[in-house]
Amino acid sequence: MVKRANRPGPPENSAGLRIACAGAVVTGISGCRAEGELSWAVALTSIVLVITGMYVSYRTRAKPLGWLKPLLALAAVAAFVWFFRQLTGQAFYDVSTVENPLAMLFVWIQVAHAFDVPARRDLAFSLAGSASLMAVAGAQAVDLGFGVYALAWIAFGLWGLVGMWGSASEGGRLRGRGVVGTVVAVSVLSVGVLTVLPAPHVAGRIDFPANAAGGVGLPGAGGLTGDSGRATEPARAGSPADATRVGGFLGFATHLDTALRGAPGNTVVMRVRAQRPSYWIGETFNTWDGVSWKVPTKNVPTPLFSGSPFVVPPTVDTPVVASPVAGQSDLQTFYMAQSSPNLIFHADNAVDVWFPARNIYVSGNDTIVSPIALGPGAIYTVRSQVNTATADELRAVTGTPASTESSSQARELKVDLQLPKPYGRVKALAEKITAKKTTTDAKVQALISWIGAHTHYSTDIPPLAPGADTVDEFLFGNRTGFCEQISTAMAVMLRSIDIPAREAVGYVPGSYNPITDLYEVQNKDAHAWVQVWFAHYGWQSFDPTAVVPLANPSPGATLFHDAGRALKALPLIPLGVVLFLAAATALVFSWRRRRPATWAIAVARRMERTGRRAGRPRETGETLSEYASVLDAIAGDASGTWASVAWLIEASAYGHHEPSAEERREAELASRSRLHRRRPEMATVDPGVRPAAVPVPRRDSPPPRAGDGNP
Amino acid sequence: MTAAAERPRDRRRSAGSFVRPVRPLIPIASAFFVLLGWGVVAHNSGAGWVQALGDGLAGTLLLGILGPGVILSRARLRITAVPTDATAGLPVDLRIESTSRVRVTPVHPPGPETFVGPARRSPPVEGDVLTLVARRRGVVSAVNVEVASAAPFGLLWWTRRLRLELPSELHIGPKLGRSVVLPRQDDDRSGDSSQRSARDIGEPRGVRPYRPGDSRRWVHWPATAHSGELMVREMEGPTAEPVVVVVVLPSDEGAAESVAEEAFGTLVALFDRGMAVILTTTEENGRRTAAVTDRRSAGRRLARAVGPAMPDVATGIIVTMGDLHSGDRL
Repeated sequence: MVKRANRPGPPENSAGLRIACAGAVVTGISGCRAEGELSWAVALTSIVLVITGMYVSYRTRAKPLGWLKPLLALAAVAAFVWFFRQLTGQAFYDVSTVENPLAMLFVWIQVAHAFDVPARRDLAFSLAGSASLMAVAGAQAVDLGFGVYALAWIAFGLWGLVGMWGSASEGGRLRGRGVVGTVVAVSVLSVGVLTVLPAPHVAGRIDFPANAAGGVGLPGAGGLTGDSGRATEPARAGSPADATRVGGFLGFATHLDTALRGAPGNTVVMRVRAQRPSYWIGETFNTWDGVSWKVPTKNVPTPLFSGSPFVVPPTVDTPVVASPVAGQSDLQTFYMAQSSPNLIFHADNAVDVWFPARNIYVSGNDTIVSPIALGPGAIYTVRSQVNTATADELRAVTGTPASTESSSQARELKVDLQLPKPYGRVKALAEKITAKKTTTDAKVQALISWIGAHTHYSTDIPPLAPGADTVDEFLFGNRTGFCEQISTAMAVMLRSIDIPAREAVGYVPGSYNPITDLYEVQNKDAHAWVQVWFAHYGWQSFDPTAVVPLANPSPGATLFHDAGRALKALPLIPLGVVLFLAAATALVFSWRRRRPATWAIAVARRMERTGRRAGRPRETGETLSEYASVLDAIAGDASGTWASVAWLIEASAYGHHEPSAEERREAELASRSRLHRRRPEMATVDPGVRPAAVPVPRRDSPPPRAGDGNP
Repeated sequence: MTAAAERPRDRRRSAGSFVRPVRPLIPIASAFFVLLGWGVVAHNSGAGWVQALGDGLAGTLLLGILGPGVILSRARLRITAVPTDATAGLPVDLRIESTSRVRVTPVHPPGPETFVGPARRSPPVEGDVLTLVARRRGVVSAVNVEVASAAPFGLLWWTRRLRLELPSELHIGPKLGRSVVLPRQDDDRSGDSSQRSARDIGEPRGVRPYRPGDSRRWVHWPATAHSGELMVREMEGPTAEPVVVVVVLPSDEGAAESVAEEAFGTLVALFDRGMAVILTTTEENGRRTAAVTDRRSAGRRLARAVGPAMPDVATGIIVTMGDLHSGDRL
C-alpha cells in the first residue's frame, strides 16, 4: 500500500497545468507579501525559485534528478527546524507571532516542492499548498485590495483543476458552455455556502493583535495631543482654526464646539473587526458651557502600567455601579487606516486593552488615551463587557440618582447634572414632554420621540450668533441641526429634569464588509450621541439622531444589499456608452462575419430570399440551378431569368466564368426583382409583365459537378 | 450476444445503471478535512477573506465531488458505426460518440478502456473509437459499457453502466482452430493442394468485388484497374458433390468455443481446397443447413450456432465428402 502510494505517477506533459499551478503558488506568495507576511526579498526570491523549480521539473519530468530529492528533503527539514526555533519562547496563544514564521515555512516548502513536481499528483499538491498561503494572507487582509490576489488565485486554481481533468481524461476540455457552467456552478455553490454558513467572526480566544506600526511617543501625560505618527510633526486634535487630520470631525479634542462643524469625508479612518456592531466611543464630555462640551480640568487620567493586556478599572465605564450586570464579552480589533488622535476607541464598557505600548491612560469618563501616536497600520484590540440590560429592565428604573444611589455616588454624578445656567424654558419643555412619565427610560424615550417629531436633521445650519446658546437655538429657534445639536439638546433637557447625561463622541459602526468581515469606518461616520445614567445599569447610550441597526448583518443579506448599492452607484452614463460601443462593435463584427464573402453567395442568398417570400424556400439538397428552374416555373418565365442568374452564380463560384460588370449588374437587378406567381389570364392579356430576361451567356464550360456543392 | 447464456448477465448489468461514485471515501474525507481546517483558520482569525475564499473552496470542492455525477447522468453516448464481422480474440473498432468527455470501458464484450467525447485535440471526423476484444464468438447487438467521469476537476470519479445498442449486429466468428483430419482427395498428387485452390482451374464466370478470405490469386487486375476497386475472378468451380459439415456444439461454453474454432478451421481448409460446403448447425430457431461459400459466411454461421436443445445429443464435427466421412467426436 505504501509502495503504491509512493510510486511516482506518469510524467505530466501539460505545460498549461504547470503554469496554472505555478501561478497559484506565485499568487499565494504575492498575497502574503501584500499583507506584510513576507519581506520583498523573500517574496521575490521565492517567486523566482518557484518558477525556476517548475521549469526544471518540467524539463526533467521524464527522468527526475535523483540527487535532488535528498537535497529537497533536507531543505524541508531545515525549514521545519527553523520554524520551531522561531516558536521557542513564544506564548502559545499568540497566533499573531506565529503567522510570519508560518508563512515563511509554507513558502519554503512550496519552493522546495517546486523542484520535484514531475507528475500530476505533485502538481496537485502544489495547487493545494497554494491554498495554505492564501489562507495565511487572507487572515491578515483587511481591505478589498486583497481581492485582486483572491481572484487571480481562484482563476489559476480553476485553470489548474480543469487542467487536471484534461490531463486525466487524455485531452478532455471544457467548451465555452462548460467553462461558463463551471464558473456559474462554483459561484452559486460558493454564494450558497456563504449565505448558509454563519460568518465565523473572531473567536475571542486566540488572536489579540496589537501593532504600533512605528508609532512614537507623544508628550503629555494622558492628554489628547495629536493624530500624527511623526514626532516631528505632531498633529493637532480637532481645531476650528486649522485643517484637521482627524477626518474633519472637530470633536476628538479637549472640547467639542457645537457651533462649528468640520468636513467629514469618505476616507476610511479605520477598520474594525468585531463580534457585533457598536458605537466606537472615543471620549465623553460632561461639562457644558452653552456652546461647547469640555472635559473637566480636574479630571486627571490614570496611567495603567500593567502591560498588555491592560485591565481597565471598572470605574471608567461603570463609575458607581456596585454590582455590574453580567454581560457578554465583546472583542473589537481596530486597524487604523489614517492618522488619528491618541484616543483608543472601544465599545461600551471596555475591560481589557491589548495595546502595543508600555502604558495607557484612562479617565473616569470612559476615555482611554494612548501614549503614542497612532498612524496608519496601528492595531489594537479591546474587550468590552456588553451591557445586557434589557428594555424591560431599563423601564423598571425610576427616581433620581439622589434617591437611588449612595451619597458618594450621587456626588460623583453631580458633574453629569451640571448646567451653566438654569435653562428655564428647556426645563419647562422637558417637564412638559415627560409629564406623566415615571421611569427614566420612559422620560428618555419621550424626549427622543419629541425631538424626532419636532426637529429636523441638517448639516447645513446657520452659524450660531455670538452669545447665543446652542440648545436654546436648536429647541426654540430653527430646530435644525445635526448630531451634536440634537444630542446636546437632549442631554441638557435630561439634566434639566435631574437625569444624569453626558455627551459621547466617536464613530458609528460603519459599513460592514462581508468579504473582509470588517466594519469600515469613514470620516463621515463620526458621531455624537447621549449617554444616560441608569441606576444599577450604569451609562446607557441613546442616539436621538438616527437609529443604528444593532443586529449583526448576515453576510448574504449584506452582499445583496451592497450589490444593490453598488449597482446604484454605477456610473450609468459612461457605462451605457461603453455598453453601447460594445454592442455596436459586436453588431459590426457579427455583420461582417455574416456578410456574404463573395458576389455569388450574395446573389444566391438574394435568390433564396426571393423564393422564400414567394412561398417556395430552397429545399435541402436542391442545387441552385434546380431551384432557379422552379422559380422560373413559378413566375412562368419561359426565358429562364432565374436559371441564367443561377448559371452566372455557379460559374462565378466554381471559377468557370467570371461575370463581367454588366452581367453582374443585370443578375443583381434580376435577383432584386419580386417574384410574381404566374397568372394565366394576365399572361394572356399582357405578356409584357414578365421580368426582362438576363441574356444567357454561351455555356463554354462544363456545368459544376455535384461534388462541388452549391453556393 | 444472442447466445442464451449471455442474456441473464445483461439483465444483471442493467441493474447497475445508476450513477455512483467510485471509492468516494478518500476524496470526500479529504475535502471535509480541508474545509474543516480552513474553517478553523477562518474561525480563529475571524478574517472575512478567509471565509470568502473558504466558501469559494467549498463551492469548488462541492462541484468537484458532485459535478461528475450530474455530468455523467447527462452524458449521451451512441455507437455510430460498427463492422459486420469480427473474430473472437481479435480487436474490433466501433465508432462512438459522446456529448461529454467520459472514460468508457467495455464490459461485455470486454475491451480496453478509452476516453471518448469532446477533446482538446481536433475531434475525429467519424467519432471516437471504442475497441472490443470479444473472448467468444456470438452475435452482438448491444455493448455493455462502464462509463466514468470526474469532470470538471478530476477530484472524484463517478461511474455508471450503460447498454449501448449497436446500429447493426456484429458477428463475432470463432478463432481459427485446427482443422479436423480431412480425407485425402484422389487427384491431389502435387502435395500443395492446401496452397493452390482448385478454383484456379475452373471456368471463369465473371468478376466480383473482393471479400475478406478471397485468395490473392483470384484478383482480376484488369477489372480492378477499370473499376478502381479490388475485383476478383469468380470461377465456376468443379461441379463435384458438396462437402457436408455437421457441427453440433456442446452446451458447455468453453467446450463449444473449442468445437466452433475447430469447425471454422475445417471449413477454411475446405474452402482452400475449393470445395463447396454445406454446413449444418443448430441455431436458436432450430437446425439450419445451408451452403457456406467463404470465411465470412462460415464465421457468421458459427457465430449464431448454439448447443443442442437436448442435453444428451452427441457433439462434435463430422465432415462428409461423398462416401468418405471424417470427424472426431460425433
